[in-house]
Amino acid sequence: MNYLLALITRHGYVLVSGIVFAEAVGLPCPAALALVAGGAAAASGILSPAVWLLALCAMLLGDSVLYFLGRYMGWALLGLLCKVSANPETCILRSAESFYKRGKITLVLAKFIPGVNTMAPPLAGSMRMRPQQFLRFDLAGATLYTSAYFGLGYVFRDFLAAITRGFQTAGRVFEEVLLVALLAYIVYRVWLYRKHAIYRVVPRVQVEELARKLASEERTKLLLVDVRSHGYYDAGSARIKGSIRIEPNNLVEELKTLPKDKDIYLYCT
Amino acid sequence: MAHLLREKGFNAFVIIGGLTAWKKAGEPLESVPREDLVKLPTFS
Repeated sequence: MNYLLALITRHGYVLVSGIVFAEAVGLPCPAALALVAGGAAAASGILSPAVWLLALCAMLLGDSVLYFLGRYMGWALLGLLCKVSANPETCILRSAESFYKRGKITLVLAKFIPGVNTMAPPLAGSMRMRPQQFLRFDLAGATLYTSAYFGLGYVFRDFLAAITRGFQTAGRVFEEVLLVALLAYIVYRVWLYRKHAIYRVVPRVQVEELARKLASEERTKLLLVDVRSHGYYDAGSARIKGSIRIEPNNLVEELKTLPKDKDIYLYCT
Repeated sequence: MAHLLREKGFNAFVIIGGLTAWKKAGEPLESVPREDLVKLPTFS
């Protein structure tokens, strides 16, 4: 416990801003928890309130990195980011859908939406949002997010003060709170994973097996469908020969055009 | 999406590895039709 307090006192600024930056660039780090701890530490005098400004800058920096990577790498980056998502198959779709529904305001709200938070900046980049416009919306979103959680920690400053006053007891409480928070985070991630486990029951087919079917008489009984979302269709891109496209964001209408007497093979990137 | 299609009565499957695996296997590709490229919205 002594070590932990010393760590927060000495490296609190780096810890809080580092965790916020790590989450902003797509790593599974609990930035909200770090901000609450930062707010509480600032309220108790362990850290200066400037830690909030550092966290804000870290978030903007991380978002900007992904924005420019999204701008220059396109959708390859999004596919990479979605590999660490709880549900890789709907990761990009959900984020893109959010942009379709809410437009640019998505950047302001994205931080509060699990799964969309990391994807919003690279999506904005790949959708060619102007840098100044991105920075304006992202600044609003990052300010809202960091202020909300930092403020929460700040408001509960008395709780932290009680912890630091009674070191023996409070040390245990602090550790328990930290443990409960970490457990809650793990449970949340497991819940997300299990929630989307249902998608894994869909039968899958290897490329070689499908190629064999296409070369046989079975080819008339199957349909290849490209379900890549917006942006996959960058200029000069290719798709599987003979496939058709359905727009994932207009699924209700698209389903009317699909035959029910054929086996439908879906693919994305 | 495949799960949704199956719920709606379609016999849907997912290609393992998607387009990347298809390309790696050296299977035939074609260019995306130009009209598909045009209708995509962007912020620019």
